[in-house]
Amino acid sequence: MIHIERGPWREMVNHAQATYPNECCGALLGTIEIGTIDGDKKVVTRAMVLENASAGSQAARYELRPEDLMRADKEARAHKLDLIGIYHSHPDCDAYFSETDLKNSCPWYSFVVLSIKGARFDHANSWLPNAEQTHAEKEELIWPES
Amino acid sequence: MARILIPTPLRQFAEKNDTVEVGGATAGEALTALTVRFPDLKKHLFNDEGKLRSFVNVYLNDEDIRYTGKEATPVKDGDTLSIVPSIAGGK
Repeated sequence: MIHIERGPWREMVNHAQATYPNECCGALLGTIEIGTIDGDKKVVTRAMVLENASAGSQAARYELRPEDLMRADKEARAHKLDLIGIYHSHPDCDAYFSETDLKNSCPWYSFVVLSIKGARFDHANSWLPNAEQTHAEKEELIWPES
Repeated sequence: MARILIPTPLRQFAEKNDTVEVGGATAGEALTALTVRFPDLKKHLFNDEGKLRSFVNVYLNDEDIRYTGKEATPVKDGDTLSIVPSIAGGK
């Protein structure tokens, strides 16, 4: 389960709406309690806006620079937080985990996808891809207005 | 000794350490030392052929080792190795 607090949630939605009709991306920082009775419990207390580094059209593509992820990890460590997830937006389509998402994923993090329709937030889902990049499980996602 | 920064989700396989000090003259030797000490980490970093998984990048300080000699990149005392995934996607 991943719970996103109000502050980071607003940041993510504002970012996704501002970059519409392009995709946005960023890192999710917070705390993680591994192996509780209900599975891992993650709480996102900070969203870190990162640049979409995709060189081509960004309307259907995002790419994170490893250097930016390193920076996010350093920031998390400096504040005694953990880097626990990645977010990105899907402009004018649903918050599924696409084939492109899957083939470029990493099983270590939660992947939160925000559906933005007509420049407004519509819905969101969180996904947990496997190491072989062949399948992603849906993860329970809780946000302030959910 | 160099230090390896362990990403949060992998710390459960490294006795909850966020940083591990390892010996080794190269990046490859340092990573091997890490997985010998914490065998459960191995499958998360390497595939069945023993190669780094496609989404795993290793940085020596601020340099991607892919451009500095890959796993033969020399490592010296005080260096920091970071394990950083490649992440991209799109609808």
